[in-house]
Amino acid sequence: MVPSPVLQVQGLSKTFPGQRALIDVDMDLQPGEIRALVGQNGSGKSTLIKILAGYHDPDPGGQVHVAGQPLALGAAAAGEHAGLRFVHQDLGLVPTLDARDNLAMGHGYERNRAGLISWGREHRLARQALKDLGYDIDVRQPVSHLAASERTAVALARALSPRRADPRVLVLDEPTASLPVAEVHRLFDVVRTVRSQGVAVLFVSHHLDEVFALCESVTVLRDGRHVATRPVAGLDEDGLIALMVGRAVEQGQAQAASAAGHEAALRVRGLTTNVLSSIDLDVGAGEIVGVAGITGSGREQVALALFGGIARSGSVTVGGHDVEPQRPDKAVEAGLALVPAERHANAAFLEFNLRENVSISNPGDFVRRGLLSRRSEVSDVSLWLRKLNVQPPRPDRILNTLSGGNQQKVMLARWLRRKPAVLVLDEPTQGVDVGAKADIHALIDEAAAAGAAVLVISTDHNELTRLAERVVVLRRGQIADRMHQPNIDPDSITAATLGTDTGAVA
Amino acid sequence: MTETPHVNVNPDAQAAQTGPDTFVAPGPARDEVVAAEEAAPQASIAEAGNPVALADHLAVEGGEVERGQPGRRLTLGFDRFSGLYVWAALILLFAIWIPHTFLTTNNFQITAGNQAITAMLALGLIIPLSAGVFDLSFAGMAGVSVCITAWVQTHGQSPLVAALAAIAAGAVVGAVNGFIVVALRVNSFIATLGMSSLLLAVAYWITNGQQITSGFNQSFLNFGTSTFLGLAYPFYVMLGLAIIIYIVIEYLPVGRYLYAVGGNAQAARLAGVRVNRIVFGSLFTSAVVAGLTGVVLCAELGVASSDTGPSYLLPAFSAVFLGSTMIRPGRVNVIGTLIAIYLLATGIDGLQLAGAPVYVTDLFNGGALIIAVALAARSHRRT
Repeated sequence: MVPSPVLQVQGLSKTFPGQRALIDVDMDLQPGEIRALVGQNGSGKSTLIKILAGYHDPDPGGQVHVAGQPLALGAAAAGEHAGLRFVHQDLGLVPTLDARDNLAMGHGYERNRAGLISWGREHRLARQALKDLGYDIDVRQPVSHLAASERTAVALARALSPRRADPRVLVLDEPTASLPVAEVHRLFDVVRTVRSQGVAVLFVSHHLDEVFALCESVTVLRDGRHVATRPVAGLDEDGLIALMVGRAVEQGQAQAASAAGHEAALRVRGLTTNVLSSIDLDVGAGEIVGVAGITGSGREQVALALFGGIARSGSVTVGGHDVEPQRPDKAVEAGLALVPAERHANAAFLEFNLRENVSISNPGDFVRRGLLSRRSEVSDVSLWLRKLNVQPPRPDRILNTLSGGNQQKVMLARWLRRKPAVLVLDEPTQGVDVGAKADIHALIDEAAAAGAAVLVISTDHNELTRLAERVVVLRRGQIADRMHQPNIDPDSITAATLGTDTGAVA
Repeated sequence: MTETPHVNVNPDAQAAQTGPDTFVAPGPARDEVVAAEEAAPQASIAEAGNPVALADHLAVEGGEVERGQPGRRLTLGFDRFSGLYVWAALILLFAIWIPHTFLTTNNFQITAGNQAITAMLALGLIIPLSAGVFDLSFAGMAGVSVCITAWVQTHGQSPLVAALAAIAAGAVVGAVNGFIVVALRVNSFIATLGMSSLLLAVAYWITNGQQITSGFNQSFLNFGTSTFLGLAYPFYVMLGLAIIIYIVIEYLPVGRYLYAVGGNAQAARLAGVRVNRIVFGSLFTSAVVAGLTGVVLCAELGVASSDTGPSYLLPAFSAVFLGSTMIRPGRVNVIGTLIAIYLLATGIDGLQLAGAPVYVTDLFNGGALIIAVALAARSHRRT
């Protein structure tokens, strides 16, 4: 007889304006099962988890049962009471508080008869909860002083706390993204301990080797739909990748890395950060090179490391001149330009007008007889706003009154105006509508045609295919693959980003 | 003209503290809000982030949003030139209420001259505040400068040497502030709050707790009290300083860098702005201006005591914050600050002439600070 599932998802859909993120998804989880949930970016994994967590309201018609009881969807506390527990990638801990406080968050503190916090009991409970997971931690330390795996343990202990209701289903969302390999295995042991207590585990990961090492079964989502749920036994990596991208793909073949016919305008040797290790990369003048990689692969650090936004070692040379680490101003001087990811945090002056946003990288250009000339600034900025088809092309508009696509074009204008020797773009079309995306791609082509060496870093593999002559694929901080046109297509990039490591390819 | 009893406001750190938070802290960026929500999925959606900020950003993401036009009609009173209207209204009010005392040339001249010191300090304060950096030590620095200027003269040196020593002291204090904030990474609010206390101690140490009332060079004292075209010399010093700072902020690249660092330090850094240098330079400048102001203040008062400086802290902050609601709403700026200074001074002067008790000064400055910051927060949300 088949035991009754502890988590039963039936006909779950979610429609965002202009996009169906999840379409009629079914999924069952048995008690004591470790299930992997995999899919490419945009496949609907996060949407599914956010619905379970009560963060998103699903479309009407879908149902979720926990241990046979229907779950009120769209209410955060309902899942908690039913025994659904979540550990998210960033763990959600308060770094300055200790383990006891972090464990008490969401549950409240143990009180004594006078209504004061009973620190003795809190202390014992916290130690015991962590000991159950196999960790012996000083619970009075701020969690920021703990090792990465210990922090994960604190988050797990909090999720598994039985104070409100017994945990039945534990959802781990990319729990290994920030863990060193040795600690990943320790985490697996903890997950197996949890499983042995009858808790079902839903394990979300981009790392397929982890799926094979830990999970018994795997559910694959693609384009918002449920594609397959299978036992892991009998599947191999290529088979799983084929399920994820929808067809059989050969993992990209390593090819000799030479930019023949290009003189390297950007030359990177031994680029190393806390995630990246020893990256070598050349980009020739007029060439567009793509960088791909899943979150945690180091992809998100490449642009900032090159430009000096974060600490790095190794050498970066532009046109033969060394660029000092952690000095964006020197990078700009050397001819580097960066349109960073997360525009609002890293690039935009939202309350400033377009004129100031464009000219900030070099207002000195507009000094006439020792003073800033607003007239020359306005005329130059207007020219660039028109050239980039910014709507409206009015230099006195405040940036945050523009749409995302137009804001991004303003960021591009800031750098294209300077005619940089090397243009680095990190997620250049993040949060940008389709029309603006095509415009931005055309602008990138133009910049390259005009002689700039362009590095495009993106999780949008269609974009990389559209733009890049070569694509460098990162896995676990190293270059795992180099692909060249005409052998570049979105699915093979995806496959290459997901592949297991067989050693970095030079 | 002699000095009138100057404003004696306690250095009310708490009142100042309400200022910074509301004024500088922008709503969380959209990405942060989303991250925060993802981190706490168990929390209800309403609690998950700042709903106002979220709605705000979503509205922006949604496409082209026409804001300025409809908003402007509703908030006419707080528009760019609102300060001038209020100032004109105040003048009109007192002109009708107490014409015989208020509407005299003498009264206008005294008011203009009296505010020179507060205005100079406020002008210096604009520099760090535009970069989002706090300087709470400028008033203390001005106090130390007064004491140094007097002490050096009582030891037989010329007024010029005394003035240079006081200004050099400003440079040292500014460099120390800058070092603490940039190299030691101490929050500027804390660093300069601590410095203001240190400076109070230094002022006491220089004067030995006594007032210095004699030993001044006579031409030095004349400089502080003489008038030109009916206005005291310090007024013209202030005017010169205002012109210089106006040009620096509005017409030199460094002015852009200051605002950029104040607007989004990370974005400024990634645009190639040397953020550390700007922060250091802004603290250095405000302390040097405070040093200069102390010299002028010493000449005006003809007396030096250790408690002179702190009373200028609150009026200067009030003026800069109130100034940031006009001319260039949402930004501290020179013209707005000057209007604010004279708006506040007119109000206080008129009320005192009308017979209001002496505490009206504290009342007016404190109230203006709170209202100014509330208006600044409002215009911040609007843009």
